[in-house]
Amino acid sequence: MDEFERGLRQTLRRRPAPPSLKRKLMERRDWQQKERQHRRMVWWQRLAASVVLCGAVGGAFAWHNAEERRKGEAARQQVFTALRIANRALSRMNAQLNERARDGQ
Amino acid sequence: MAHDWQPDFEQLVDEHQSMVFSLAARMTGDRGLAEEIAQDVFLELDRHLGKIQSPEHARFWLRRVAMSRSADALRRQRVRGVNLWVEIEESHGAATEQRESPLGARLEGLLAALPAPQRAALILRYQEDMMPEEIAATLDAPVATVKSQLQRGLKLLRERAESQLREFVRTSRSAEGA
Repeated sequence: MDEFERGLRQTLRRRPAPPSLKRKLMERRDWQQKERQHRRMVWWQRLAASVVLCGAVGGAFAWHNAEERRKGEAARQQVFTALRIANRALSRMNAQLNERARDGQ
Repeated sequence: MAHDWQPDFEQLVDEHQSMVFSLAARMTGDRGLAEEIAQDVFLELDRHLGKIQSPEHARFWLRRVAMSRSADALRRQRVRGVNLWVEIEESHGAATEQRESPLGARLEGLLAALPAPQRAALILRYQEDMMPEEIAATLDAPVATVKSQLQRGLKLLRERAESQLREFVRTSRSAEGA
C-alpha cells in the first residue's frame, strides 16, 4: 500500500452517524410495530366476521331446508289422512250398497 | 457457538450505525438521504433479525443491504434527473470539512465523481478495509470484476488527484504565503 492509498484510507474513515438517527429509527420501529399489530387485529376481526357471516348463511340455509322437509312431511300426512277418510267412506258406501242389494233380492 | 448468539437490535444499531450511515452517505452524497437509507436498512434488519446467525453475519448483511439500498437510491435519483453529487460538498461535505483536512475533503470529492461501481468497490476497500473477495460477496459481483473496478477506480482517482490536488496545494501555499 503506497502513500496515496494510505491517504485514501485516512480520508475514508467512518463518520459518526447523526445523533438523531437512532431516535428517529426507534420511533419508526415503534410506529411500524403498532401498525403491524393494528393490521393483525383488523385481519382477525375480519376473519371472525367472515366466520360469523358464513355461520349465519349456512344456518339459514339449513333451517330453510329443514322447514321445507317438515312442510312436505305434513302435506304427505294430510294426503294420507284424506285417503284414509275417503277409503273409509267408500267402504261404508260399498257396505250399504251390498246391504240394499241383499234386501232387494 | 455462533447459533447461541442472540441478536439485540439496539446493540446492533449502536455498533453499526456509523458504518451504515458512512456507506450510504459516501455512495449517495446526501446526508439526509443517507440517514433515511440507514433507517430503512436497520428496519429491514429488524424484520430479518431471526435469520441473523452471528455478529459477522450481521455486519456482512448490513453492508450488503446498505450498498444495495444506496445503489437503488442513486438509480432512482438518476431516473428523476437529480445529480446528488452536485450538492455533496455543499451539504455532506460542509459539515465534515470542519473536522477533516481540506485535502481530505478534496480527495473525497474526487472519489464522489467516480462511476458508482468503482466508488462502491473503493469505499468498501478503504473505508471498511475489506479484501476483494469480501467486496465481491457483498456486492454480489465476480471477484475479477471487483479487482478490475478497484484498479480502474484507483488509477482514475490517482490521475485526477495528481492534476487537481497539485493545483490545490499550490493555491493553499500561495494563500499561506500572502
